[in-house]
Amino acid sequence: MTKPPADPPAEIETETELLRLPGTWNFEYTYFAGETASRFFAELRDNRRVMGRRCPACRRLLVPARSFCDACFEPTTSWEAVGEVGEIDTFTILTATFPGLPEPPLVIAFVTLEGADTAILNFVRGVDLSDIDAAGEFLFDHPSVRVVFEETRHGRITDFHFELERPSARW
Amino acid sequence: MTAVGIIGVGQTRYLRRHVGLSAAELVRVAVVEALDDAGIELDAIDLVVGGVAPDSLAGVNDIDRMAIAAPGRPYFRVNTGGATGSSALLAAMTWIRAGRADAVLVVALERMGQAKTAQKIFNTIFDPIYEKDIVLTTITMAALRASMLMKRHRFRPEQLAGIAARNFANAIHNPLLEGVRAHTAEEVLASPILAWPIHQYEACPISEGACAVVVARAPLAGSRPTAWVHGAAALSDTYSMGDRMRRPEGTLIDIVTLRRSAAAAYREAGIRDPEREVQLFELQAPFASMEVMTYAPLGLCTADDTKSFVERRLAGEVATWFNLSGGAQAANPVSATALVRIAECALQVRGRAGRRQAPDVHRAVATGQGGATQFSTVVVLGEETP
Repeated sequence: MTKPPADPPAEIETETELLRLPGTWNFEYTYFAGETASRFFAELRDNRRVMGRRCPACRRLLVPARSFCDACFEPTTSWEAVGEVGEIDTFTILTATFPGLPEPPLVIAFVTLEGADTAILNFVRGVDLSDIDAAGEFLFDHPSVRVVFEETRHGRITDFHFELERPSARW
Repeated sequence: MTAVGIIGVGQTRYLRRHVGLSAAELVRVAVVEALDDAGIELDAIDLVVGGVAPDSLAGVNDIDRMAIAAPGRPYFRVNTGGATGSSALLAAMTWIRAGRADAVLVVALERMGQAKTAQKIFNTIFDPIYEKDIVLTTITMAALRASMLMKRHRFRPEQLAGIAARNFANAIHNPLLEGVRAHTAEEVLASPILAWPIHQYEACPISEGACAVVVARAPLAGSRPTAWVHGAAALSDTYSMGDRMRRPEGTLIDIVTLRRSAAAAYREAGIRDPEREVQLFELQAPFASMEVMTYAPLGLCTADDTKSFVERRLAGEVATWFNLSGGAQAANPVSATALVRIAECALQVRGRAGRRQAPDVHRAVATGQGGATQFSTVVVLGEETP
């Protein structure tokens, strides 16, 4: 990324040196995943399965798992595993460095897995990024991906990522 | 319904950093100008509605409390992300129509220039359980939608860059912006890719500033130059973008909340053919791709005809004005930006837009979009008393 442009001139006329005081906002948190997401992550970690929850009203299988369907405002009723193959609904290739965020290049995508009605976000690894425009066009034409679990899993969304299926594969 | 109109507009300049003015001083600059423009005293204001989106961009919790324009009257804050400013206006209208106020001051403030790591902060607006670890930011969120748009319509990169270039061509006439250059489509495409397919000049810059409007009922409105509210609507959607990919009512890029808000606001305003009946659109679209996504929801074309509408725009065949201020792409003070869109429409309808004034703007439409299009607003302003 190019450097930001220099500050424009101050908007007020003043002889006073305009001070800038240093500051930080570094708070620590623990995020409470709740029962449904906790079970979803345990399934990733312990059973290498991506699980969804089905809404009894609209019949959608929500992935990642939700305790209720916010379209119907009804509690979901059953756990169901989805396939490990899916289709990229949309993706981007992060190419610029932003302070505090992971180093690019990175491909992220929302993927609807086989049997699911909603898309889950994760990294797509193994894409040839030597030419970013060409990589983007390739992903338009080859949206099939597969879930690949990490060897060491911690009960996090990063316990898996996506890799491209064979370019000719369909489901 | 009670007729409500905008009788005053005040804006600071929109700069990357306002190092010379505190948050409260920025608000005061905008408020004093809005009251002057309305020709009323602060005593006539019954309520103040403040608009600020994430506090962490400024590094001060509840920063709006530092900047309440005039203590001594009811006050509340509104936050719907990028739609904050327009949501605040709708809240003000509701108070007036409920009979609880005759005149309301709406003021939105953005202090994001104090953030040293804005994209890292924007990462924290996303779900920390399922999504935050996957580098979602406002830029990657916009890029996810841009690539979906590109794939669906097979846009050529120069077409989206061309829309960006048109906004920059308008922005150079806006004295509230500083350091804006007229980038050609070629220059847009030559700028670095931030997150494919979005180039740097297809994305908004960091912008600070404040925007204030005075909203009133008759007789305050009507006895002064007034931009009447002909129609207004706001809707929310699910937080989860992944839930919006394959819904029967529309995909992520169909922006169902915007489509339904526009339909409701047009119905109230009696608009059937927006391209003929609306002279100006000010779109809360900080990215060129987001602007293109709004055309179909706003009834300017069908979803399938989006590409041909873009081609008509680029060929100069669409008479409607778009983003004469330069739009959110030239300056996007996040908390204020949706109110800026309304303020710019009000200035145009009232004939007070100075160097960026277009002839014969009888009716103008402003949009607001917030939280990865979780929130949409549409406001129709016009010169005729409704």
